[in-house]
Amino acid sequence: MLKVKNLSKKYEKVLAVNKASFEVNAGEIGVLLGPNGAGKSTTIKSIAGLLRFEGKIEIAGKENKSIEAKKAFGYIPETPALYESLTVWEHLEFVARAYGLKDWEDQANALLTRFDMDDKKKKVGKELSKGMQQKVSICCGLITDPKMIMFDEPMIGLDPKAIKELKEIFVELKNRGCAVLISTHIIDSIDEVWDKVLIMNKGEIVYNRTRDEMTASGESLEKIFFSVTEPEKEEESA
Amino acid sequence: MSSVFYLLRKSLKNLIKGAAKKPLVLIGYIFILVFIVFIIVASFMPSGMVRNGNPQLFKSIMILVFTVLYYTSLKLGIDKGSTFFRMSDVNLLFTAPIKPNHVLLYGFIKQIGGTFFMMFLAMCQIPNLRNNFKMEAHGVGVILLAVVAYTLAYPLLGMVIYSWSSKEKSRKKLLKRIFDIGAVVVALLFLLSVVQTRDFVSAMDRVFNHPVARYFPVIGWTGSIGAAAVGPLTTEFYVGAIGMLLLILGSAITLYRANLDFYEDVLEGVEFVEAAYKAKREGRNMTFNLKVKENVKQGLKGEGARAIFSKNLLELRKTSLFLFLDRMSLITIIASLVFRFVMPDEIGEMGLFVVLCFSVYLLMLFQIQGRLVNEMEKPYIFLIPASPFQKLFYVTLSEHLKNLADGCVLFISAGILFKGDVATVLACIFSYTSFGAVFVYNDVLNRRLFGWVHSKNMLVFIKIIASLLLLVPGIVAGVFVYAMTELQLLLILTMGGWSFILALTFFMFSAGILNNLESAG
Ligand SMILES: Nc1ncnc2c1ncn2[C@@H]1O[C@H](COP(=O)(O)OP(=O)(O)OP(=O)(O)O)[C@@H](O)[C@H]1O
Ligand SMILES: [Mg+2]
Repeated sequence: MLKVKNLSKKYEKVLAVNKASFEVNAGEIGVLLGPNGAGKSTTIKSIAGLLRFEGKIEIAGKENKSIEAKKAFGYIPETPALYESLTVWEHLEFVARAYGLKDWEDQANALLTRFDMDDKKKKVGKELSKGMQQKVSICCGLITDPKMIMFDEPMIGLDPKAIKELKEIFVELKNRGCAVLISTHIIDSIDEVWDKVLIMNKGEIVYNRTRDEMTASGESLEKIFFSVTEPEKEEESA
Repeated sequence: MSSVFYLLRKSLKNLIKGAAKKPLVLIGYIFILVFIVFIIVASFMPSGMVRNGNPQLFKSIMILVFTVLYYTSLKLGIDKGSTFFRMSDVNLLFTAPIKPNHVLLYGFIKQIGGTFFMMFLAMCQIPNLRNNFKMEAHGVGVILLAVVAYTLAYPLLGMVIYSWSSKEKSRKKLLKRIFDIGAVVVALLFLLSVVQTRDFVSAMDRVFNHPVARYFPVIGWTGSIGAAAVGPLTTEFYVGAIGMLLLILGSAITLYRANLDFYEDVLEGVEFVEAAYKAKREGRNMTFNLKVKENVKQGLKGEGARAIFSKNLLELRKTSLFLFLDRMSLITIIASLVFRFVMPDEIGEMGLFVVLCFSVYLLMLFQIQGRLVNEMEKPYIFLIPASPFQKLFYVTLSEHLKNLADGCVLFISAGILFKGDVATVLACIFSYTSFGAVFVYNDVLNRRLFGWVHSKNMLVFIKIIASLLLLVPGIVAGVFVYAMTELQLLLILTMGGWSFILALTFFMFSAGILNNLESAG
């Protein structure tokens, strides 16, 4: 569903992503792990078509900046970007119209209820707390019913109830055949749900395994994380 | 104490180092510096133009400007407490074992650095003033002195006012009421004078150049310092200068001596300032902190890219005062009309052209920080599945409509006030809207060409220079046509026509590159 080949992105002099290649298949949940500044957000923004990049990115078999690809994916940014003067409901309506969705109202209501936002429909963007903004941002990404969806640090600022709902949503998306890519550095938060793990460090994908492959190696995710992101320290302690 | 100075020293050093590392930014700063020097030199050069602006009018304008500045900044101070601290100061310095009054001193020194920017803004207006008013040799100096006095005085006063008013709700209410009543009284006095004298200039003189106004504490003092630019250094100037000096020293010492617990007072202000800085950094300060109207009964319409247009209209409806008119339109309209009023009468029938030039100048400054910038910082415009061509068209359509509406209000009133003919008014509206379109698409193009310039301030500067350069051929052609025909209408139409063609060409180019832009969101 999502194919990334030799993705590189340079900001001025910083090589933020260096020849990253990976795939996330339909019905699979991929997690993108890595320390701060590893290049996770840059990778996701490149896939979402927000940045210029080198390499090849295909979504549902189409080049990522094409209209067909844009219809197929959803993106929840690292920091929610809402319109200050639009209400929660107007945000959802705007996205629904822009994507040409039909009969989206019931689903919108259901999503808002799940995130305890049904009484906030008439609040405008600038009156929302940070967590509420994140919830609206998530709802906007989900309402289009995408075939592939990317979450950049989705748990940040959410309350425990919303985190629980979100995890359930990940599984529902997967069962529906959606390809899910989640960036995070809180390993515990997604430990139960992932199918494929990608670890980035200094712009490179340094580890790329499915859950079965990792289980076969018999090591914990946390251990692997530190050994691939801080190899020097590992040697020192050894 | 030494830690505070360490911080100041390091900040300054990093600023210089940072500039030196990026040659382009350095060139930019040098360019700005040259620009400033040029303006200073230009303001000392004798200019051949008639400068018969009434010096009394100049004095009233000075006092009016400072009345508005103090009113807005101090009124905000009642609620938020004006401040010169930043969030990093709050988090690091306020919690550190440093005496509060040393922290205050640090904030104060930083603020003095901040006045440079205000001075720059003030300096941009000097050639303009010099073309209209006969200035003394000390003119530039005293205007800058007035600006410095203002920038130092308002945060201090704001803090004094806040620390007094924040103790009780009733005090806040009382202060706000005093401010509002004061504003209403001044407005009424002015209206009354306009009715009595039937003359804008004499009315200004009667209200703002009244001895009470000139000696009015703080406002009158600051105004009188600046007013001395067009005359000898009178008693008013010395009273104002000494008054402001004592006021600044006095409030600083009071705050410094007092057993200060001002951190809490500052906190709320800092949060506000921080949000404002963020808006400025992202180049959208013109849309920052707008009031949102509730109960706007306007739904969204259309599908695909068209939804962007109807969303923009909805946003406009919610944040504007009336239909398309918002804060920016009002400032543009009022300032342009006032500008025509203060121009010498010799320009006579060229009045509408003068209004057009000034309003376009303001439009350029505003649009660079306007709604489109805001949209580009969000991911939606990039994510929506529609062709870049359609997206760019619809996202900018509301901007053109707004300019058209503003242009209509502005030039129809100007036409009535200055007795213009219908054809010229229509030509002005057309030109105004076309100029607006050039600025809009120039913005998009510049993003592509100079997207790698990471300083937003630098980018704004590039955009201004690019816009000005782009308009040059139209102006040259217009002047040429005018020299041949002596018709104001043709001059305006030529300039407008050039902008229209330019905007159309730019639109074609810009649509193609929307796919190649980068979003900060
Ligand atoms: N707009 C930008 N301009 C210049 N450099 C940038 C920009 N955005 C990111 N970088 C740099 O690119 C690298 C990767 O950043 P990125 O935001 O992708 O990291 P991340 O893995 O998402 O980190 P985090 O966990 O902190 O979110 C970092 O070195 C960062 O400094
Ligand atoms: Mg990130």
